[in-house]
Amino acid sequence: MSELALFIVRTGFLAVLWIFIFSIISVIRADLFGQKVVSKVASANAPQVVSAPVAPSAPGSLVMEPTGSNATKLSIIEGDRTGHNIALDRRELTIGRAEDSDLIVDDEFASTHHAKLVLINNDWLIQDLNSTNGTFLDGARVGTPAVVKLNTPVRVGKTVFELRA
Amino acid sequence: MSNLLTGAIPKIVRVVPRNRNIEALLLLFAVGLNAFELAQIQLSLLEVLNADFFLYWLPPAVLAFVIHVILRNRASEADPMILPIALVLNGLGLSMIYRLDLGSIANGGTELFGMKQVIWTVIAMAFAAAVIIYVPSHLFLRRYVYVSMFIGIALLLAPSLPLIGRSINGARLWIGIGPFTFQPGELAKIALTVFFAGYLVTRRESLALTGRKVLGLRIPRARELGPILVIWAASLLVLVLQRDLGTSLLYFGLFIVLVYVATGRSIYVIVGMTMFITGALVASRIMDYVSGRFDSWLNPFDSKNYDAVGGSYQLAQGIFGLAHGNLLGTGLGGGIPHLVPLAESDFIIASLGEELGLVGMFAILGLYLLFVARGLRIGFIHPDDFSKLLATGLSFVIALQCFIVIGGVTRVVPLTGLTTPLLAAGGSSLLANWIIVGVLLRVSDSIGAGEKVIGGGR
Repeated sequence: MSELALFIVRTGFLAVLWIFIFSIISVIRADLFGQKVVSKVASANAPQVVSAPVAPSAPGSLVMEPTGSNATKLSIIEGDRTGHNIALDRRELTIGRAEDSDLIVDDEFASTHHAKLVLINNDWLIQDLNSTNGTFLDGARVGTPAVVKLNTPVRVGKTVFELRA
Repeated sequence: MSNLLTGAIPKIVRVVPRNRNIEALLLLFAVGLNAFELAQIQLSLLEVLNADFFLYWLPPAVLAFVIHVILRNRASEADPMILPIALVLNGLGLSMIYRLDLGSIANGGTELFGMKQVIWTVIAMAFAAAVIIYVPSHLFLRRYVYVSMFIGIALLLAPSLPLIGRSINGARLWIGIGPFTFQPGELAKIALTVFFAGYLVTRRESLALTGRKVLGLRIPRARELGPILVIWAASLLVLVLQRDLGTSLLYFGLFIVLVYVATGRSIYVIVGMTMFITGALVASRIMDYVSGRFDSWLNPFDSKNYDAVGGSYQLAQGIFGLAHGNLLGTGLGGGIPHLVPLAESDFIIASLGEELGLVGMFAILGLYLLFVARGLRIGFIHPDDFSKLLATGLSFVIALQCFIVIGGVTRVVPLTGLTTPLLAAGGSSLLANWIIVGVLLRVSDSIGAGEKVIGGGR
């Protein structure tokens, strides 16, 4: 092969190798970008998207009722697992350091069985299970079980979460 | 990936395309890349394309698509990038070994590695496929935590035994039965990762939370430091018995990183690194072998080291090769990489660096970076703690091994006898790394379907 052809093949191969790397990076980027769009939709609760025909929970989410009844998920807004969501698809959800908790809070300020959320009469109630450092609903320590309204911060140890529609 | 979101949010947006289709596209690209390499080599060295091309190109390509089909059926949500990256790395290594074979045939050499490497690639990829098929879930390996401890230790110590242990080039890392040799330490890293992950999942609480505070740092109790002392002693034992600094650093580093990941306390990293550096420094005073390696590392161009048997000749030749490659390389088939001893195994990165140049070298490092990043991501978002540690450990062990080997060849750290993952000639190393690929694929599939309800939005 001529000198020029060799040079073209040589640099061509390096170019293709890098194109492979960049195509992987672009997939990763599309991944992140795609998910970013979704999480924006979720937190803003944008009506035009929610009212899209394929959306099953569309009617409920349009009206913001102060009760917890239409809460569909628990969003962690502070702490180790910030950004995680848990679907509220059951009647009870336990919170604590224990491995079998539904929401595991992994810090020294939380008790093994710290608190639990219970669905009673269409309201989500937070009940403190005699934890050492307490559970705080909107800044106030929870004594007797209290109703958790939508978008109200609940603190357990270093973790803060909210119920969202 | 996308399925995590559908529980909480209406199925409006499926922005992320299906994993397996991305994988198929990337695999086609990877197979094309491998064909390009082999064609370039044959054209520049033989000036004609012959049937050997298919012998080296087809088997890995076919097996990659077999694994792809298995993934479609058995683990459809597995990570789409790991398999193509592994295939490209393996193909690059295979092409370079074939190229070195052609070079040594031209110079009258008889010891060929290419065909062996093809056979081992096929075996290794078959094992990866078997892992995906026969390991039904990410929790399966957790049942075998203590079994893996025994397997790991047995594999690690096997080369030190009389009769089956073999010394090659001064390091006692092989076992041999007849003409067949095997490096069990490569498989030990998988077994030990499973054991460390299982052990630390049960002990992380006490490792993370106990101890007194002194000057703002929480000092662990002596009892919690016990296991670290045991692993430290074991890795020094490996250093003494098998005369290999790299292996002992690999296992100890793996353990320390997993302790750090499990507890989130940097004190363990500080204590661990201090202990290892102290141990290595003491060993370098006492053992000739270690001090020789240090001297070759610091002064490779000193004629005393350059001419010595087992001195820095190989290291210096590797650096000359890299320098010959310059920025763009000599082109595959254009260089003289066979001048370096062990150019096909320990020094394959120098051979590739010579023929692909700095640009190509960075591309290879970029591939490793992406591979490890995908693995760490699996560990990061997996809801199950055992799988978190397992994925983190397996990807970290590849990263650390790359650092030790490539750092050794480029004189960042003293040179040791580990293999470059997926690139270097050697059956045991290929086997172990493809099994790691299989386990990572299996674990990544279960991210969405974990037992815990916490399914990340990220």
